[in-house]
Amino acid sequence: MTASSTSAQPPRLLVKTLAVIFVTVALLLGAVFVVVTVSVRDQVRQSVAASLESGQRIFGAVESRRQRELQVQAATLAENPTLKATIDTFAAEARTSSDSQRTQWLTTIGNELDKVAARVDADAFVLADTHQITLAAAGRLGDRWPRGRPIALAGGTAGDVGVVRAGGMLFRVVSVPLQLADVPIGTLYLATSLDQRYAEELATLANARSAIVSDGLLVASTLATGAAREFEATAESRQQDGTVTLEGQAYSFRRLVQVGNTSFYALGSIDESSRSATRTAVRNLAAIAAGAAALALIASFWLARMLTGPVGRLSASLANASRSHDVRVRLPLTGSSRELDALTETFNALMASVATAEEQTQAAYTGSIRALATALDARDPYTAGHSERVSVLSVAIGRALNLPADEIEVIRLGALLHDIGKIGVPDEVLLKPGALTEAEFHIIKQHPGAGARILRSVPFLVPHIPIVELHHERPDGRGYPHGLRGDEIPMPARIVHVADAYDAITSKRAYRGARPAGEALREIWRFAGTEFHAEVVGALATALPGVTTDTGELVVGQMHA
Amino acid sequence: MPRRITLGACLASGAVLLPLLAPAPRAQAPDAAAGRITGHIKLTTRVHAPLPANAYPSRSIGKHEAPQIPEIRNVVVYLKDPPFRGALPVSRVELHQQNETFVPHVLAITRGSTVDFPNDDPFFHNVFSLSSAATFNLGRYPRGQSRPAKFAKAGLVKVFCDIHSHMSASILVLDHPYFTIPGADGNYEIQNVPAGQYTIVGWHERVGERSASVRVEAGRATTIDMTVPVEDLP
Repeated sequence: MTASSTSAQPPRLLVKTLAVIFVTVALLLGAVFVVVTVSVRDQVRQSVAASLESGQRIFGAVESRRQRELQVQAATLAENPTLKATIDTFAAEARTSSDSQRTQWLTTIGNELDKVAARVDADAFVLADTHQITLAAAGRLGDRWPRGRPIALAGGTAGDVGVVRAGGMLFRVVSVPLQLADVPIGTLYLATSLDQRYAEELATLANARSAIVSDGLLVASTLATGAAREFEATAESRQQDGTVTLEGQAYSFRRLVQVGNTSFYALGSIDESSRSATRTAVRNLAAIAAGAAALALIASFWLARMLTGPVGRLSASLANASRSHDVRVRLPLTGSSRELDALTETFNALMASVATAEEQTQAAYTGSIRALATALDARDPYTAGHSERVSVLSVAIGRALNLPADEIEVIRLGALLHDIGKIGVPDEVLLKPGALTEAEFHIIKQHPGAGARILRSVPFLVPHIPIVELHHERPDGRGYPHGLRGDEIPMPARIVHVADAYDAITSKRAYRGARPAGEALREIWRFAGTEFHAEVVGALATALPGVTTDTGELVVGQMHA
Repeated sequence: MPRRITLGACLASGAVLLPLLAPAPRAQAPDAAAGRITGHIKLTTRVHAPLPANAYPSRSIGKHEAPQIPEIRNVVVYLKDPPFRGALPVSRVELHQQNETFVPHVLAITRGSTVDFPNDDPFFHNVFSLSSAATFNLGRYPRGQSRPAKFAKAGLVKVFCDIHSHMSASILVLDHPYFTIPGADGNYEIQNVPAGQYTIVGWHERVGERSASVRVEAGRATTIDMTVPVEDLP
């Protein structure tokens, strides 16, 4: 495997889970946003229309009440005796009086009207004779009404409400007749100017924009100039209600009142109203999205951990097992899911069978090697059973030293094989009864290295190599084949060294008889620290009683215990 | 829809009240060189459907109790500017205030005559005039009292009450005695008219003068009928 293929490895399960959940949440939120925006716009359109409608009702109520109040006031003013007397007398004398007298009369009427006007709040007070010719006018905008000209009332009759155009301005008027015992002698008009101020008042009452259109022309409006002009131009402004697009913005409009050719409209901008509503909706959605994202994060982490945790533990156990070459490992059941547990069980069963096969293989190997070792021992009658005994004794020493079980197993087999290299030593040297020459001893010293070489060819015997190779090294460095010192020599090799020596001393040789155990132990004690490691010798002393009979014979039968 | 009726024919019920009305002065002795004018005044009127929505009825109280004066009694027939020499006969007549109405509504008198304004209502009234022929204000006074006004100048005098704005009356002050107010049946007669050519006028406050030419011969009665079209104004 190369570095590039490492970077191209598939994404982690966690990342995948997160991505899937996030994409789902994002899609959901997107869909919800679209739906909400559309429905908000729809609702806003309806609510604007509803608000205009209620504005219309309110305006209608307020306006009719105001007109009624104005009419009451007008009716009260119309009962002014002096005003009536002035008008009636003027009318009676008009036929016969001179121009200067007429002027004087009109001045008198004007004065009386001024007095009356001071009591009521209207933009203009106009007094007309029975032919609806203006006699006098008073009030803030009284000078807009030319004297001696007829009043053309649109959309109403005398005594009613109507719209009058006078002096270039449009007025909403209420009118009441002046009567002497049911005989009309004139008409009094109270006029309200339909100007920007009125439009603004209208807008306030209707809680919307307002526009006043008379004969298709805009009179006043609280709309922006451009929008107002567009509204003036649209055919929709002839209708009762609906929607209209002004300067690219959607407006809902409604006619509040129509008097003659004059209409009062309330307009509400849908876009403007929906903008704030949409903003609120988006803000809420954002909060929901944040919550959903947090939830998704937590949920996906939990899910991923639920999925990857057991798999990770399983793969870690597996990696551990493969690293230690321990095929007897049994993976724990995670209990997270049935599938994973089934996998673990299958794996464990598989590994159990592998372990069994491995053990059988090892047993076969071990058996052959033991046979080899036994055959080797058998070359020399004096050393028969030597390897078995050293093995038993080494295991006992190892136990006395509290070595771990797996190390003791290594010692057991290693001790059995420790002299396997002697297979390459000729009989004349190996079985020579007398002292060895230097050359002969050199041959003898070759056997640990030869043993190591033999073992190297069998993989599962690699751990035993140090025992075979180094079981003749001495702590004082005078051993062979490498002359290692003290701590450089591994513990199994030290143990086998001591056990080998003990068995050699207590065994019969061609040149001498077997020596008793106590003497052998003393002999070995003598060389503790130089030829043998002291703590191993101590352990031998501790271990011996457990493995020998009363007569000092080793109990070899424990070999397979 | 407006319809045309003849008031004089249908308002005979008002005749009961006629004794109350001040008759035109006719106390002059018959003159041999004089003739008289008789005739019939036909008053036409266009009556509209109820007046346009006056949501607030006039403030008159007990209106139904007001004396029903035939409209024909609001007409004055007189000669237009006849030459008259000698002492103008004067009279003293009453113009009552009854049920918030001036009774009669129209009065014709000679210059120099005096009108008394008795208050018959159980509340105060006022009498005032802004007319150029006679400008006066008699003030306010209670029931039972009467205040006079003398009319020294010929012309039309409109009289009002400043308490009850719907009350009004017209007093026609003339420089000669040749005038009369027709009877409820529309017939009139002007006596002691010197022979000659005249313009005769039928006057109504809402119509003004309707005139005709008339030739009066001594010792004879000349008959001339006139039509005065009183139209309700829009």
